[in-house]
Amino acid sequence: MSNHVLDIRDLGIAFGGLKAVDQVSFKAERNRITTVIGPNGAGKSTLFNLISGALKPRSGQILIDGVDLTGASPARTKAAGLSRSFQITNLFFELTVAENLRMAAQVLEPVGRAFLPIGRSTRALAKTAEMLERFQLGHKRDELAGNLSHGDQRRLEIAVCLASEPKILLLDEPTQGMSHSDTADTAKLVRALSRDVSVLLIEHDIGLVMDLSDHVVVMHQGRKLAEGPPAVVRADPAVQAAYFGHH
Amino acid sequence: MRDRLTNAMRASHVLALIFVAGALALAVIGAATGDTFYLRLGTEALIFAGLALSVDLLLGYSGALSLGQALYFGVGAYVSALTLLKVPSFWLAMLAAGGATLVASIIGGLIANRVRGVYFALITFGLAQVVSKVVYNTRELGASDGMIGIPVIDIGFGPFSVSAGNPVGFFLIVLAIIMGLYWLTAYLLDTPFGRVLTALKANEKRVPFLGYSVWRARMFSYVLAGLIAGLSGALYPMLRGFVSPELMFFATSGNAVISVILGGVGTLIGAIYGSVLLVVLKSIIGSWTEHHLIVIGLIFMICVMFLPKGLIGFIRPRLEERLSEKTPDATPLTSVSLQPGSAKP
Repeated sequence: MSNHVLDIRDLGIAFGGLKAVDQVSFKAERNRITTVIGPNGAGKSTLFNLISGALKPRSGQILIDGVDLTGASPARTKAAGLSRSFQITNLFFELTVAENLRMAAQVLEPVGRAFLPIGRSTRALAKTAEMLERFQLGHKRDELAGNLSHGDQRRLEIAVCLASEPKILLLDEPTQGMSHSDTADTAKLVRALSRDVSVLLIEHDIGLVMDLSDHVVVMHQGRKLAEGPPAVVRADPAVQAAYFGHH
Repeated sequence: MRDRLTNAMRASHVLALIFVAGALALAVIGAATGDTFYLRLGTEALIFAGLALSVDLLLGYSGALSLGQALYFGVGAYVSALTLLKVPSFWLAMLAAGGATLVASIIGGLIANRVRGVYFALITFGLAQVVSKVVYNTRELGASDGMIGIPVIDIGFGPFSVSAGNPVGFFLIVLAIIMGLYWLTAYLLDTPFGRVLTALKANEKRVPFLGYSVWRARMFSYVLAGLIAGLSGALYPMLRGFVSPELMFFATSGNAVISVILGGVGTLIGAIYGSVLLVVLKSIIGSWTEHHLIVIGLIFMICVMFLPKGLIGFIRPRLEERLSEKTPDATPLTSVSLQPGSAKP
């Protein structure tokens, strides 16, 4: 088994004349945190949409554990072990916290149980209970996801992604709109997650990125500008000019 | 684990039992007084309740409004009529109608499930219009007159046999079939598959990223709804002895939607109550005035304004409360045993 869980090769897509993602290649190591950074409009979210199957690339390849998933549907990509969160909270707001988690955990069950009473899906139920405990949402399990605070919704979103036991977790700005203390908690959480899942992160908080990441990919105007360990990337003059220069 | 949908379904089942009890009482009274009119009217209401049930499966759970569900009801009725004219066998007619609506709804689903929302409503409406006009102009199917002279059949269950001409007997058979379809639908909705349907209604865009095929779920529910409509439609010629293109017209589809809204969207049993209510109202008000549609329209508007969740949508939450009072902590989630080591800090 290769140590690279995700292998992106020359990935590209254009909207009209705009090359939103242009010839981007990088690899993400297993059980490490790889972070994609870049100014607004650099193509980070488009890159996530390509990797998760929401958009089909015009060129390039996406390999998950050596399996070619270029152009695969979101459902197939999910089945291959990739879970993603969204920049704008994307939950089943009319369903409860527990129902949101169970919906995600249901994929752990054999297909045959899809038509048996829901109580028979013991693995999905156990996973739901586990996630409620791990993310400290147990006391809110019967609340509608739409009624949670923003911070709780963001946490639930990560829990939902994790409930299906993915190999790779794509987190699109998990700390967006969070308070300072919630951000610190989330950082701790993401760090803990990377013990048993590979994390690919989009994050704006540079301090957090430098602190958290094992590997950083810098994007600028659709292209990869640099990549490497946080310290090396930070010292890169091109990165300084394009990205840190704005701060 | 008992959750909201399971609780709601339990309340629906209680209301279904009350419905069956009421229907059986009607059957007993009908048999005792030798009534035909009300039993036949009740049978017709039950048949259209099957159509309404299929509309609620789509609208109330997967969130898709079909304005042409009568298409499958009509296909079931015509295929049943054609079969009965050749071979007067109940089971063969049901089998043929089921098979035909299965094929028809797969074709219809392939077309309609390409779009969402308003476009889905318009496509389903258009499909039903096209097919009903074709039937209306096909002489082999009786054209605008429909087909008459469908024989009264004997429905055999092993050694027993009931004539479709027997008002009580046929009423009970239709009751059993429609409640069977209700039970089947309720069962499916309480499975993981059913929850994917509710997820579609809640946030369809999120569903594929959880690993479920939206298209497959939508297709399955559409075909199931078509089948329910078709099997209900197959009973119609056995009751009335004729079929006509009106069965596929928009009025039929529209009535089913009105029944569902009157009874309560997303309650299943509400569709059945709503359909009975509509048929009874039409019949009673129709005996006072020929402008009964005006009155029905007014009642519908009042219902939407003051009882937006429908009759059962209003009653059911209150019933749920009473049911959960009786069993305060029905296996809470926390009691689910975890495998050792599965909980990580």
